[in-house]
Order: sequence, then C-alpha cells, then structure tokens
Amino acid sequence: MRIELISLGHVYPTGDEALKGVDLVIEGTEPVAIIGQNGAGKTTLVKHFNGILRPTSGQVLINGEDINNRSTAQWSRDVGYVFQNPDDQIFLETIRKEFEFGPKQIGMPEEKIKEQMDFVSELCLLKDKLDLHPFDLTLTEKKFCTIGSIIMMDPKVIIFDEPTCGQDVEGNKRLKNIVKTLQDMGKLCITISHDMKFVVENFRHVIVMCKGKVLLDGDSKEVFSQVDKLKQSFVSPPPITRVAQKAGFKETVFNIDEFMREFDNRKEK
Amino acid sequence: MAKAYNSYVKRDTFKENISPNVKIWPIFSYGLSAIIFPNIYLGLGLIVFLFILAFFSKLFKGFTKIMLGFGIPITLMLIFIHGFYGSKNETILYDFGPVQLGLEGVLHALKIVSSLLVFLGTFYIMNHTTYTGKLVASLTASGVNPKVGYLVLASLNVVPQMQRKLSVIQEAQTARGVETKGSLWHRFKVFVPLLGPVVLSSLTDAQERGMTLETRGFGIKNVKQTHYVEVFYTKTDKIIKYMLIGFFIVTLIITILMRLSVI
Ligand SMILES: Nc1ncnc2c1ncn2[C@@H]1O[C@H](COP(=O)(O)OP(=O)(O)OP(=O)(O)O)[C@@H](O)[C@H]1O
Ligand SMILES: [Mg+2]
Repeated sequence: MRIELISLGHVYPTGDEALKGVDLVIEGTEPVAIIGQNGAGKTTLVKHFNGILRPTSGQVLINGEDINNRSTAQWSRDVGYVFQNPDDQIFLETIRKEFEFGPKQIGMPEEKIKEQMDFVSELCLLKDKLDLHPFDLTLTEKKFCTIGSIIMMDPKVIIFDEPTCGQDVEGNKRLKNIVKTLQDMGKLCITISHDMKFVVENFRHVIVMCKGKVLLDGDSKEVFSQVDKLKQSFVSPPPITRVAQKAGFKETVFNIDEFMREFDNRKEK
Repeated sequence: MAKAYNSYVKRDTFKENISPNVKIWPIFSYGLSAIIFPNIYLGLGLIVFLFILAFFSKLFKGFTKIMLGFGIPITLMLIFIHGFYGSKNETILYDFGPVQLGLEGVLHALKIVSSLLVFLGTFYIMNHTTYTGKLVASLTASGVNPKVGYLVLASLNVVPQMQRKLSVIQEAQTARGVETKGSLWHRFKVFVPLLGPVVLSSLTDAQERGMTLETRGFGIKNVKQTHYVEVFYTKTDKIIKYMLIGFFIVTLIITILMRLSVI
C-alpha cells in the first residue's frame, strides 16, 4: 500500500486551519508512528487516509487513486481506522456482534468471518469475553474490542489513534504483539501515540507533526537525535535517550542495553 | 475540540443584548396569544413577524429550515386527520369520493400548527440568541434555585451534545463500511440502532457532570454564592417585558370581546 499526500491542507468549518500543506509518502509494511503535541493535527491527518475528512486543499492518493473517488465506506475495505475513544465506535450488545458488524457490511463471506473471529479474538485476548456486553468491559478491553473489530475487516492499512491511552503494561504488551503480527501479515500499521517509550520500542519509522505540518519524518534514531527540532514540537525523547544525549553520546539509544553498549564503548576509548 | 456547548453563536445583534430573563416572556406572550385567539390570523401574523425577527437576528437560514422541516409534515398530518375526520366538518372543500375534505377541520389543523410554530419559532430565536450560561445566571439572580437553574442548563445542553455525539458515531460507522448516504429508508435503517447508545451516553454524561459539580461544592448550603456570569437588567428590558405582557393582555381582551360577539 502506498499513501501519498500532496500539499494536503484542511480547514475545519469552524475556520480552524488544522493542516497547512503536508507532503508525505507512507508505503510498505514498516509500522509508522505519528507523534506531536496536542492539537498538532495528527488525528486530522490520519482521518484523511480513509476519507472521513476530505482535503480542503491538496490531494490524497491511496495506491495512486484519489481519495475523493470513493466514499469512506468503500475505502474501509482497504483502510481501517480505530477511533481514539472506544465509546464513539462501540454500539452493539456483544463483542461478537461488534466483531461481525464491519465484515458483514463489506460483504465478507461467512467462512472468512468465522476464521477471522477465531484469529482476532485470540490476538486481542478477548476469546472468553465474546458474549459480554461492552458495558461490562474495562477500558482496556473496550479498546481492544474496537481494535479487534477493525482487524476483523482485514484491511491492508490499519490506523490506530492513541491506542496506548490509559493502558497498563499488560495492555501495551498486547498491543505490541498486535502491531508485530500485523506487520508479519504484510499489513501497514499507522499509530498515533504520546507514549514515547512505546513508540521507540515498536516503530522504526517516526513522523513528527507540529502546528499542522510535518516537522520530521524518518528513522526513529534519526528523528530522536534532532533535539532542537523536537523541542519545537514539544516532544521529548524517552528518559534514557535524554540521559545519553546529556552525557554526550553520539549514538541515539532507546533502551538500557543500547545505553550500556555505548557507555562501555566510551570507557574503552 | 468541542467548542461551545450551546447553539448560541455570537452575532452581535440587538436581540443578544436583551436580558435573557426577558426573552422567556415572548414564548408565553406570543405562544399563548396565538392559542387563545379565535382565528388563525394572529398566529400567522406572529409567524411572519418571527421570520422578520429571525432575519434581523441573522438566523434566517436555520430558522426557515426548522420551521419548514417541522411545519410541513405536521401540517400535512393534521390536515389529514382533522380535514378528513374532524367532527365539526360541515363545509366540504373537496370531495375525494370515500372521504371529504372539510373546511372546519382544515382551519382547526392550521390553528394548531400556527400556535405550535409560534412556540417553536420563539423558542428557537430565544435559544439561539441567548448564551445559556447567561440565561441561567439571570434566572438564579431573580431568585430561582441554582439547582433548578442547572437542570434547565443541562436539558438545554443535551440536544446539541447528542447531535455532536451522533455525528462522531456516524463517522465511526462509515469507517466500518456503513454507507451513510443513499435513500432515506437506508439512512433511517442505519440511524436507528445508534439512538440507544447516544441517548444513554448523554444521560450518563449529564449524571457524571452533576457529580463533579457536587464535588466542587455546587449544592453547598448556608453560603452566599457569587456568580461568574454577570447579568444586567436595563430599562429597555423592563419596557420590553411590559410590552410583551401588554400584548398578551390586549389579545386576551380582544379574544373575550370576539367570543362575546361584541366585535
Ligand atoms: N471537529 C473539529 N472542528 C473544529 N476544529 C477542530 C476539530 N477537530 C480538531 N480541530 C482543531 O484542529 C487542530 C488539530 O486537531 P487534531 O485533533 O488533529 O490534533 P491532534 O494532534 O490529534 O491532538 P491530540 O493529541 O490532542 O489528539 C486543533 O487546533 C483542533 O482544535
Ligand atoms: Mg488526536
């Protein structure tokens, strides 16, 4: 899949200019993280990938096809979008029904739906909870219910808007596994996150947004080494990375092992 | 991202500068007048007047939409019921064969519709030219219990809030393959299952908001509370209020005289 944005601009009906000319190409299956302060325009940006929002200027091309050629419902076969707030998405009585809903809408065969149900409920660790009412779930479980209901539709691109929000360590692990599995299946994951630790652990491609523009776009090590630009967008690298930067390490490190390796290298010199 | 929790948008028109307290009066003054008046002309006149008012309050488009959107279907329905089956029908307007359209029924239907529209229209204009915070502040200032004030505020907020919620949920639906465009019947089918969750979540939201208010000392006793929103009650306000009351009284007198066949 290839998502291409050509000087994409978006002005909300209220007059807020949320995107000010974004040029961007995302392709392949390498998971992508989008970061940036509140109100930077991350959600607005990704809502253009399946046409929930339409460009007010510029262009969005999905595999070369203009986004305006199809409705969001039609794009939903190719591009899945998990909303930030689970309550915006969940509306049926059981998780099972939530899971079946999307696939039925796009006319997925019964057989395939069954297969997907087994696979997704396992992946999201909701196998025992399929017949529970969403109201009886914890926030984390609700979130995975919404994630699962999108994966059920088997799209080629899956967008997560702040999946880590309000989650514990176990939830993050589950999510990590989902991102990895989807990548292995050849899907493209695009994730918005404020959790820098989660970002550096799971994503090598990082995009930084600031005030409606893309500030940085590239390999995570590259991105997190540009301290000055990051400051501009009010993003701070994970604590261990900052310690290394303060200590004057040349390499950008993301975890203790990397840190110690660099540390030992310096001692030897 | 949610901006104003209200249908109020500042438009700098004269209506906005009238005290909110006074703006409740037209609803009763105009509405009741339209109801008691023996024929439909007063109601029709008031509707025309409201359209003019809406125009000068820069609300013309939304106002027209609401009035027609509510008025046309309700008119058709009531004319159908009263026109064909009204018990007072004597003069036949048109003979459809099995049923006859009666003049008295049609007039009766129009009377009901015009009164309803006067209520609706006055309420719409008031609601859209008043910052609800100010309305409630002025109510409490004139002695209404703050809790009742909150109740008014909460109920006025519920509708725009539900609309917002509904549009977000609909977005989420399209992202799951639901086509929200298409025939009216299709859209209706898609819309109905969403109502439950929307209403339910608005109610829990309101309850939660009530609880947070409580924790911030809203219901506290034996303390004189101060107000954040200030309201002014001017001479113009007073004059307008008396004019509105006067209007109702004059209508009442004319009505009684007409009923007594004096005029
Ligand atoms: N529905 C809307 N109507 C009007 N303005 C909006 C709307 N949604 C977002 N905005 C504005 O657009 C800008 C970008 O918002 P957006 O939600 O894309 O930011 P974000 O990067 O996702 O922020 P967050 O990290 O808080 O989710 C903000 O200034 C916001 O106020
Ligand atoms: Mg967002």
